[in-house]
Amino acid sequence: MTTHPTLAVLTRYAEGSGLDDATVWSVEVHLEGCPQCRAGLAGATTDGTRALLDRVAIGLAGGIAAGPVPARRRRLWSAVHRRWLIWALLPWLTMTGAVLGCAVLLERLQPGLPSLVLLLAPVAPLPGVAVAWSRRVDPAWELIAGTPAAGLTMLLRRTASVLALVVPVLVLAGARSGVSLALVLLPCLAFTTATIALGAVIGVRRAAAGVGVLWTAAVVLPSVVTEKLPVVLEPGSVPVWTVAIVALAAFAASRADGYRRLSSHN
Amino acid sequence: MPGVRRSLDAADEEELVRRTAAGDRRAFDELYRRTSPWLAARLRRRCADDDVVADVLQETYLAVWRAAGSFAGSAAAGSAVGWLWTIAANRLVDAFRRRARLAQVPPVPLTETVAPAAEDEVMAARIGQELEQALLLLPPELRQVLRAMVLDGFSVRETSLLLSVPEGTVKSRARRARIALREALS
Repeated sequence: MTTHPTLAVLTRYAEGSGLDDATVWSVEVHLEGCPQCRAGLAGATTDGTRALLDRVAIGLAGGIAAGPVPARRRRLWSAVHRRWLIWALLPWLTMTGAVLGCAVLLERLQPGLPSLVLLLAPVAPLPGVAVAWSRRVDPAWELIAGTPAAGLTMLLRRTASVLALVVPVLVLAGARSGVSLALVLLPCLAFTTATIALGAVIGVRRAAAGVGVLWTAAVVLPSVVTEKLPVVLEPGSVPVWTVAIVALAAFAASRADGYRRLSSHN
Repeated sequence: MPGVRRSLDAADEEELVRRTAAGDRRAFDELYRRTSPWLAARLRRRCADDDVVADVLQETYLAVWRAAGSFAGSAAAGSAVGWLWTIAANRLVDAFRRRARLAQVPPVPLTETVAPAAEDEVMAARIGQELEQALLLLPPELRQVLRAMVLDGFSVRETSLLLSVPEGTVKSRARRARIALREALS
């Protein structure tokens, strides 16, 4: 369709009558692709159509003023960001990094104490895990909780990003203070798994708080007071921690659907 | 602002939609000014009730305003005008569906059996002599179904809603039209 309809044809098309079907069809197909003929049609519109269009324009102005602004184009990274790392996590992760930095400093200043990095490493990712999917911290919690993607997989993804940020800091701190990396990382992983496993039953926040308080009260405080490394963090306990990780992971997997229940207090 | 005016005049419809997606109200107004006469004329040929046409136009352009990003975001999505027609056609079907529920189906303008005028033979914007003759020989209800399914891109269900005939009738009319056209063209 390369040639344009004449003005007479366009006028008759605008009027709504006076053209046979084949001409109408060819005009319509042509108009879909030709801006000049559309402008010609605009010039040939009837008064009735013009009144209709003015009415619609007024209604449109009201609708636009009353409604939301145009939705922005979805960028690829915004979906990735929401699945892996929410901005609300950053203050908590900064706090974790600062605490570990202070632990390294304290070790320098007080060499008599058992390695604080070793003592604090297991509970280092727990604030991040607690906040990763938390009703109080995430403003979009209710929206996310209603989606099919919510549940253990999402928590695992966000925990993975928390660990990805905390583990390098732990490794650095451990290297600075000269402790065995396995003893730093394995308890950390074990406690994260324990929090996730317990979280399916009593809620991640409570689990993180409970585990953290238990560890602090039962191991960290006595160790600092008696200035001896606790038994659970001796070099020979590495296999014990490994077995614990595997067992807790299996338990977490078996209770995974607890995350989709309201009774889990998540 | 003559600078903005000139740049808007030079922009084609795809560019206007992209600017609308960014929130440019002037680009949206320009798009309305350019495309609404064409859309109104096309819709009025499918629905004789002006109120329904006004509703469909308003809903279409509101949808364009709010969701222009979905057109602009897809890389090679075809023409903006085709996208506009798709939205309008869906809104038209929705309007007919709503009215059908309330049993107030809006009237559809009857196709007229007008013989082609002599001067139209001078016009070269035709789809081919035999095809046109074959089209004009078809009874009007077959032509209606063909226009809805081929030209406007409606599905069988939407066509049945638009013309308020059962789906089986739509399918059989489409088949009859296809057979008649093939006979005329062979």
